[in-house]
Amino acid sequence: MTTLQTEVLVIGGGATGAGVAWDAALRGFDTILVDRRDLGEGTSGRFHGLLHSGGRYAVKDPHAATECIEENLILRHIASDTIEDTGGLFVSTPDDDPAYGDRFLQGCKDTGVPAEEVDVAEVLKREPRLNPRIKRAFTVPDANIDAWKCIWALADGATRHGARILTYHSVVALHRDGDAVTGARLRNELTGEELDVEAGFTLSAAGAWAAEIAHMAGVEGVRVAPGKGIMIAMNHRLVNTVVNRCTMPADGDILVPIRTVSVIGTTDIRTAHPDEIPVTQEEVDQMLDDGETLVPGFRDARALRVWAGVRPLFEDVKTGDTESTRDIGRSHAVLDHLERDGLKGFVTMTGGKWTTFRLMAQDMVDVMCRQLGEDRACRTREERLPGSEDGETYQLGHRLRVRERELQDEQLVCECELISRSRLETAMRERGTANLDDIRRNLRLGMGPCQGGFCIYRATGMLHAIGRQDGPSAAGSLVSFLQERWKGVWPILYGDQLRQARLDDWIYQGALDVEHAPATAPVGAAPPEVREAAADGLKVSAA
Amino acid sequence: MSHDTIVIGTGMAGLVAAVRLAQSGARVLVLAKGVGSTHLCPSTIDVLGYGPQRIERPGEALAAHVEANPGHPYGLVEVSGLEAAVEWFKEQTVSGPLGPYAYVGSLEANKLLPTAVGAAKPSAVVPETMAAGDLRGGASLHIVGFRKLKDFHSALVADNVSRTEVGGPVEARSAELDLPAGGRVDLNGLALARHFDDAAFRSAVVAQIVRRLGAEERVGFPAVLGIKDPHGAWADLEHRLGRPVFEIPTLPPSVPGMRVFAILREALRRSGGELILNAEVVGPALENGRLVGVRANLGRREVVHPADHVVLATGGFASGGLELDSRWKARERALGLPVAGVPAPGEPRFTDSYFEEQPLSRAGIAVDRELRPVGPGGEPVYDNVRVAGATLAGAVPWTEKSGDGISLATGFRAAELILQTTTVAAVTA
Amino acid sequence: MSIFETTPIAEHDVLGDLMRGSLDHCVKCTICETFCPVSNVTPLFPGPKYVGPQAERYRTPDEPSPDDSLDYCSGCGICTQVCPQGVHIAEINTQARAELRKRTGVKFRDKVIARNTVGARLARPVAPLANWSLANPTIRLLTQRVLGLHHQAALPKFASRTFQKWARSHPQPAGASRRVAYFHGCGANHYETRLGEMAVEVLEHNGFAVDVPRGQDCCGLPLQSNGLFEPARKYVSKLSGRLAPSARAGIDIVATSTSCSLMLKREAREILGMDDDPDLRVVSERMFDICEYLLALHRRGELRTDFRPVPMTVTYHAPCQQQGHGIGKPALGLFALIPELRVIENDATCCGVAGTYGIKKEKYAIAMKVGEGLFAQIRDAAPELAVCDSETCRWHIEKATGVPNVHPVEVLHRAYGLS
Repeated sequence: MTTLQTEVLVIGGGATGAGVAWDAALRGFDTILVDRRDLGEGTSGRFHGLLHSGGRYAVKDPHAATECIEENLILRHIASDTIEDTGGLFVSTPDDDPAYGDRFLQGCKDTGVPAEEVDVAEVLKREPRLNPRIKRAFTVPDANIDAWKCIWALADGATRHGARILTYHSVVALHRDGDAVTGARLRNELTGEELDVEAGFTLSAAGAWAAEIAHMAGVEGVRVAPGKGIMIAMNHRLVNTVVNRCTMPADGDILVPIRTVSVIGTTDIRTAHPDEIPVTQEEVDQMLDDGETLVPGFRDARALRVWAGVRPLFEDVKTGDTESTRDIGRSHAVLDHLERDGLKGFVTMTGGKWTTFRLMAQDMVDVMCRQLGEDRACRTREERLPGSEDGETYQLGHRLRVRERELQDEQLVCECELISRSRLETAMRERGTANLDDIRRNLRLGMGPCQGGFCIYRATGMLHAIGRQDGPSAAGSLVSFLQERWKGVWPILYGDQLRQARLDDWIYQGALDVEHAPATAPVGAAPPEVREAAADGLKVSAA
Repeated sequence: MSHDTIVIGTGMAGLVAAVRLAQSGARVLVLAKGVGSTHLCPSTIDVLGYGPQRIERPGEALAAHVEANPGHPYGLVEVSGLEAAVEWFKEQTVSGPLGPYAYVGSLEANKLLPTAVGAAKPSAVVPETMAAGDLRGGASLHIVGFRKLKDFHSALVADNVSRTEVGGPVEARSAELDLPAGGRVDLNGLALARHFDDAAFRSAVVAQIVRRLGAEERVGFPAVLGIKDPHGAWADLEHRLGRPVFEIPTLPPSVPGMRVFAILREALRRSGGELILNAEVVGPALENGRLVGVRANLGRREVVHPADHVVLATGGFASGGLELDSRWKARERALGLPVAGVPAPGEPRFTDSYFEEQPLSRAGIAVDRELRPVGPGGEPVYDNVRVAGATLAGAVPWTEKSGDGISLATGFRAAELILQTTTVAAVTA
Repeated sequence: MSIFETTPIAEHDVLGDLMRGSLDHCVKCTICETFCPVSNVTPLFPGPKYVGPQAERYRTPDEPSPDDSLDYCSGCGICTQVCPQGVHIAEINTQARAELRKRTGVKFRDKVIARNTVGARLARPVAPLANWSLANPTIRLLTQRVLGLHHQAALPKFASRTFQKWARSHPQPAGASRRVAYFHGCGANHYETRLGEMAVEVLEHNGFAVDVPRGQDCCGLPLQSNGLFEPARKYVSKLSGRLAPSARAGIDIVATSTSCSLMLKREAREILGMDDDPDLRVVSERMFDICEYLLALHRRGELRTDFRPVPMTVTYHAPCQQQGHGIGKPALGLFALIPELRVIENDATCCGVAGTYGIKKEKYAIAMKVGEGLFAQIRDAAPELAVCDSETCRWHIEKATGVPNVHPVEVLHRAYGLS
């Protein structure tokens, strides 16, 4: 059995884990990052994309608000390429108490969140789809951030500094030597092989699964309440600014324009286990109604896809069982198990929010350094991520602009998301995965209105042509994509999206008869390479 | 002076009904929001492919299928009626503007034709340009694709088709050509079909592959063998390659479908029928509860088109003939007919497994034996409306592979029923 | 009093954005692309699905279209007509083009040709000289260099007296049983004045007194097509103001230019967003194409059918914007009433000129390619006359085929024995 050696093992490839790998690598630690699936496949890839200004917490959780605005500004500097500066609005809808607006303004002032009241008529001119009956409006520096793009930029950056990224490697056991955690046993989920990692320090950034990992180290008393939330992506930007309801944080009160869609979110329901996150019809109806409040006619707009994410809410043992996880404190918690449990070399991070991932990572690596007696300063406040060197934020029209230049030279494979053939082929070759879903995350393949209806056949043919898969595996990938796609679509299958889905049925079943093609489960993928540091780093990006 | 019949919809069902009526002397007006399913479907007349096991002899299997699937649209037509419709359709293609382009096959036996992912799909009546792809009993194939046509992947087809169960060994090789040379890098099927209409292009294709072919190999192409003269293009290729040639349908736009549209459109024009696109029918025109025409949205105004009869062939959910709103209420959009087969409020409409039959799959308009739409109690909603095609309830055509079969059968039948009730002289087509 | 039973549709998109919001209906089926006359002949235009519902998802108010290829859309509207899902593709494109123009600016040439009545007024006093100049190859080459109008593009001849002037001195027949108003458009007013006269005579022959409201200027369509929305709105408002009194008095309005009447029927409301203009509203509800109107009269048994035989072969091409009316091809229904007239219906969606599109230097070749099939059909048929309902199409087709091209009303005029 292979044994890998490293200084730091990071468990969990979400924003926090990737951020930790980046931070640790920058500080000169030899690092390995593992995730049981693809990077960002968990919570981090399932949020609405909001880069908080902090306004949302200005009244309820001032500490979090200040953290958010500070990190917001830092991220705009270091991860500019993954951020689109949409700006944000807080609006008092007819269902909200307009007086809250004053508390809101005061809270923002107190926490350092720049907020200004603006004329409703002006706002409606800028955002004509907004509820014309809103009573008050405030601007804040909200923005959107592309989760996968950011996570991969972090991973890319870490790799350039020597880190190794192992996706599709689950942790099956943690190794203990007396009162120290010394590493982990991993299983390659694609090949079934197991391998060992010997690590001087283990950092668990497993988010909602942190309790499971801690348990493997023999640590009890880490309780993470999985708080499920669903989000619905609407087919186009109903608004171009982030819109928040100006009220105490509640369900369905955020509408985020991100890339070519707008996302409405979210609900807050306690589930038993982080892997059990079904989307229920009640939640869907609730989100649609909440959407109506912000944008009248929301229910007539086209819903593309619905998904659930699970928040890791750290439950201090004292708090009782509540239905709404929203009331549990949202600040993150770094659990130094040496202090808590007398266990060396193991730290768990839980709680927190996307916007503050860098700070969470910093705290975590600081704790590790303290325990190790290493005095290494954090550099992530200043160091720009690969792709963000010029400090320019992302613009929505980017892909259209690129496409315009390539109009006569490149085949367009995914038309909705403007992905060219060479871009897709490059990603297929470099990612070493034949899972079209992974590529979806990377490039947004099949994430547009047709939800893969046209591009997925093309992509399947390409996977086969470059030798990634044989015929039955390719057909199996296609079948698997259709199945995965269906899961995210059927709860919101009405109106235009039902038409699309039915057309796709006619194409894939009626014409291609895909269900009778010789197809095998898509395991014929090349095993993911252990990524060594390369001169130009990972070439993958999701611009 | 009104029209005898208004047909709503320009898919196979609508056009078949319209042409059949117009050829018999009726004054027909076809109203449609746009161009229909012809351009999206492979346009093989799939009568019945799976029930759920693969079916070899569709004509024989119909009765049992109807019995196993009560309410199925095939229960509304006699097998002889379907056979007559097929013969009629074949006659239209051969005598139409693309003649001698023809459809071959019958209800007696399904061919097994390769699909663009390399499955073997049962189809009963197919364009002559596809027939040589029949895999039954095994085959030796050479599948040719074009790099510039991203909607067809010959290597994938060859790889999978050689692994299908067709009662004999299938050997398949593939090639990908870099033709046409120069020009666009990104072609759709229609653009490539235009190239195939050009003899010089065909020569270039032949030159690139003829030496690579095995003596017994049949040569498969994507379904782009000509739009103006498909028979000529196909026959020419067969002649020059000295081997059977066939085309394989792929993603839309469907060139074979465009041929069908052109044939039926011309047949309609020749018989004096009229077609208006961009006309959305929004409701019935009623007089004392009787339907006397339809109301159509033309631009910003609603216009009444009077008629004695209406054929509703607006398709199902895919074409927007049926609609489900966000509160899970279903609507038939043109005439407001009641939709059958929709699960009750609170009941699931879909399951989370894609390939299973979904609760909503068979929803559509329920009809009586005269193809008249009926309400929940079975009483006809309008005496002079017939429903045809994918708008009908009771089938899952994309799974059982019966789409064009149902459309052809019921569109033809709707026309027959109207002819029987009118005093228009029935001139045999 | 209208002969039509029509009801205005209170069309609304609850999302408040009827055209742009319709992009939600796109299921990427590619049908529009197969019909687009421009993308079928040139790779410079990526196609209606691409520049319409697809690219629109990438546009924001702050950052309008980065895709200049949108400019190759001719605005023919065929995509909208064939879309089975009801996406207002052409309308989205036209709106996006106006946004594009905000970024790139509008060429001087486009500003000039979009306001052709200004040029016409200037040229009229010196019409013979102006016409000679525009027919002179050297001057045309110069014009191409300076202004960007292709030297071979078909341009009309200026008339020395406007149709309006003729109308002022034309007495209305006594004893007319009914009344109709005539929207002549720039074409009949400044260039083909005889067409306007014939239209009036045909209507009078059928017992109508024809009002010609004064001060009718351009409908604004060329301005709209070139992305100049504010000036377009002004023109529309002004014209609607001139026509509204007739509409309010219950008098139907007929037009001989299918492009201009489409503009007032719906395009100005949909694309320019002028639904709140009350004059435009009543005018659009009462606006009819003249063939549409005459055929409807015939269906009520109210059209005089005393047609003399016209032993001719004619071809008929329904322009793309005529098809946009959704009225079918009423000209064919009328021709069927004329004895001995042999009509060959052309099978083409667009002649290529699309208003001002095909006369531009960089678009001319595309326009000629688009119309190639149609020109060949007409030449092969060798008719005495070619017929087409829209003026810029007539000029373009006539130049390309050499066959005289007239409006359907001219054929009726001749068949009534009024010529």
